[in-house]
Amino acid sequence: MKFNRRTLLAAASAAALVAAPLVAEAQNLPRNMRMVIGSKSTGGDTYQNSAIVAEALSEKLGINIKVDAVGASEAFKALGRDKRGTTIMIFHDQSYLGNLYGVTGYDDPFANYAVGPTVAINPGNAYLVPADSPYQTMEDILAAAEAGTRVRVAIQPGGVSEIGFSAMKNAAKLRAPGSEENIVAVNTGSQSDKNQAMWDDLADVINGSIQANEQFTQLDASDEKAMRFVWITARPETLEQAPEAGMGGTTRDDMLSYASPETSVPVSDSADFTFDKEFFFLFNKDMDPEVIDAIDGALAEIFEEGNIQERQKEAFFIPNYLSTEDARAHLNEKRDTYKTVIEDISSGS
Amino acid sequence: MFEILTPLFVSLIVGGTLIGIIFGAIPGMTATMAVAVCLPLTYSLGLENGLALLLGLYVGGISGGLVPAILLGIPGTPSSITTTFDGYPMAQKGEGEKALRIGIVASLVGGLISLLVLDLFAPTLADFAIKFSYVEKFLIIFFALTVMAALSSDMLLGIFSGVLGIFISLIGTYDISRGGNGELRLVPPGTEYWLESGFSLLPVLIGLFGLAAILEQAEIGVPKGHSTKDINVGKHSRFSFGIFKGQSINLVRSSLIGTFIGILPGVGGSAASIISYTNAKTFSKRPGNFGKGEPAGIMASEAGNNGLTGGALVPLLSLGIPGDSTTALLIGAFTLQGIQVGPLFIGNNPGTWDAMIIAMLIANIAMFAMMYFAIRYFALVVTIPKHILFPVILMMCVIGAYTINYGIMFDVWTLLIFGVLGWLFTKLRLEVAPFIIGFILGPSAEIYFIKSLESFGDATIFFTKSWIAVVLWILIAGSVAGAALMSKKNKEISDEAV
Repeated sequence: MKFNRRTLLAAASAAALVAAPLVAEAQNLPRNMRMVIGSKSTGGDTYQNSAIVAEALSEKLGINIKVDAVGASEAFKALGRDKRGTTIMIFHDQSYLGNLYGVTGYDDPFANYAVGPTVAINPGNAYLVPADSPYQTMEDILAAAEAGTRVRVAIQPGGVSEIGFSAMKNAAKLRAPGSEENIVAVNTGSQSDKNQAMWDDLADVINGSIQANEQFTQLDASDEKAMRFVWITARPETLEQAPEAGMGGTTRDDMLSYASPETSVPVSDSADFTFDKEFFFLFNKDMDPEVIDAIDGALAEIFEEGNIQERQKEAFFIPNYLSTEDARAHLNEKRDTYKTVIEDISSGS
Repeated sequence: MFEILTPLFVSLIVGGTLIGIIFGAIPGMTATMAVAVCLPLTYSLGLENGLALLLGLYVGGISGGLVPAILLGIPGTPSSITTTFDGYPMAQKGEGEKALRIGIVASLVGGLISLLVLDLFAPTLADFAIKFSYVEKFLIIFFALTVMAALSSDMLLGIFSGVLGIFISLIGTYDISRGGNGELRLVPPGTEYWLESGFSLLPVLIGLFGLAAILEQAEIGVPKGHSTKDINVGKHSRFSFGIFKGQSINLVRSSLIGTFIGILPGVGGSAASIISYTNAKTFSKRPGNFGKGEPAGIMASEAGNNGLTGGALVPLLSLGIPGDSTTALLIGAFTLQGIQVGPLFIGNNPGTWDAMIIAMLIANIAMFAMMYFAIRYFALVVTIPKHILFPVILMMCVIGAYTINYGIMFDVWTLLIFGVLGWLFTKLRLEVAPFIIGFILGPSAEIYFIKSLESFGDATIFFTKSWIAVVLWILIAGSVAGAALMSKKNKEISDEAV
């Protein structure tokens, strides 16, 4: 067969005709979309979860979606600049917690951006102590604070890492007003810094995660790196959706024993504090609502089909699709709860 | 163990190494960028094959940085800065090909020694690494900073340039992700939007070394009657392995320094080549030749930065903590496959561990084979007329600056600002090398210094924390005394010459 310009044109036209139905649904969508994320790491949970969602969405809508790990500050800027819908964002509760804690670069996402559907939960947020710690449980920690012992907690201030610490202080305050002063923050950075703070005996408790710290809990107690979980902040109904085998040597039942209600960190007289790290979409406030609807609709179909859930569970995420409307109501309520906790601690009353 | 050696596995390593070399060799592109670009591919490749690709990219990317460092005086990656100090003067003397071969052999030695250390001692070394708290890490950075004095032709101006570099590196937010308070500092009013994240390293680096050099050349212009045929690429400057005679201690020491720095999370790859280079200069019989085209300088720098490759994998695979920015991306390959990396990883995943060691070994050999035998073609880059070469370099620098943080235009302005600053530096007799070293190490020095004081209370802790701190102080004192003696000697020589 002789290839000439006409043959190539014919082939291209045929390819376009075949491809047309695949992209028909995406007519109003940009062909190339940039998904910025609030993390600079491509090894973390935000990137991992976003990569899974971007791939599924890209396939469903027949468009290209590229995940860019630009970090929170630059991601918000990029999102704020682009009203065309070519830039979308995935982030988690840090987006509003950063604002509640007054961190530079964090505007109120509910006021400045359009909050979109939720897609997954990372149930791994946890607190750990050294294997040879005198504290066996959260009850021991709160009792120590009540007895006047300083309990040092290594966190990264200003967000997800701090919210559990704020809850600990709040619980101490509910138990014995004034004892919250004995729960003090050791401000560190990455997980590596928090672990090091424990090994250097600079912290009695560290914030960590099931994924990053579980193997340290399996070490022999004589190993200076060995740790123990004392609290997993996820809701029990979230953890119940995790694989029964759990992760590494920690089964789902083990995890549940470190979470409410078995491990109680009260947020009020009648309820425990819980925190699920939820991933959700953020859009430019002035973006075409049809584009948001198209993404929302595509996600609904993707989760209906059920394949994405398998991938999310393999990576230890809990699938959690909520439509834009439901997600906004849910996240607003969640934000208000944490706002109260933070304000109660800050007020010192 | 060897069943992993499928054609696909080997092809991915070799292909990854080649792509890595290309990324490393293009100013503005780095090993980290190469790994980031290819990371999403690893999901479909599976863990072992995905790691084969990424480790090839890592080794190739770190090694490729020596090509522009030597031929153009532009470090391809931040860890090749010290390679420019002697590599570029050699290239200017018509010994570019020889300098490249020295660098490649040193890279291989550094890579293999660090791989051996990784294979034999990973868990033990990880246990040692956790003995380094904020205090010891600060002292290591401080030790690396003392190189500013040793690298300067005028000690006072060199130190001033270095301190200026530190000052500028601190512009922006005191990052909470590193333990800061999230507040802006040193940011002039009205510039918060752009300077919130400060100046990124890579645009600063290629601006100071790349664009500034182009501006200088543009100022000089091309002499009348100049022809590229006159350029000596070193075809007649024969390379012999005899040049490594008497350098085995330098090579092994530099490789081990690189490996050791890699083991310490958060210290950074650039410190590896800087400390290796300073040590080579301190222990050299010809310290005065350093910076003027001394082969031992290239050996130290390249053995040091390739030594990092195995070292940085030690905390990653033994603690789940990456040793440098590129290995931080490698974690992504594990998490995308749902594999936990931590203290039990090696014991629980012997197959993956073996695959990684084999992949690193093949990547080092492939890097050597590809670069060593292709070097004469690389070297020809200096024969390209500058009116063609420079616009191409400039374009690559702009693309690299724009893409390093996934498309931030301010990074391109940073490149241009620091290009002009670099050009002005020569007019003001300020020194670029100490400046960039200060800029690279400044943020780490700051965070570890402040965290040490926050954690331990007062400054005496820097002297009393541990025996490691005492050893580091001895090294710092030795380095400062060496630099002062060298400065005095240089002054005497120049006085005699007058």
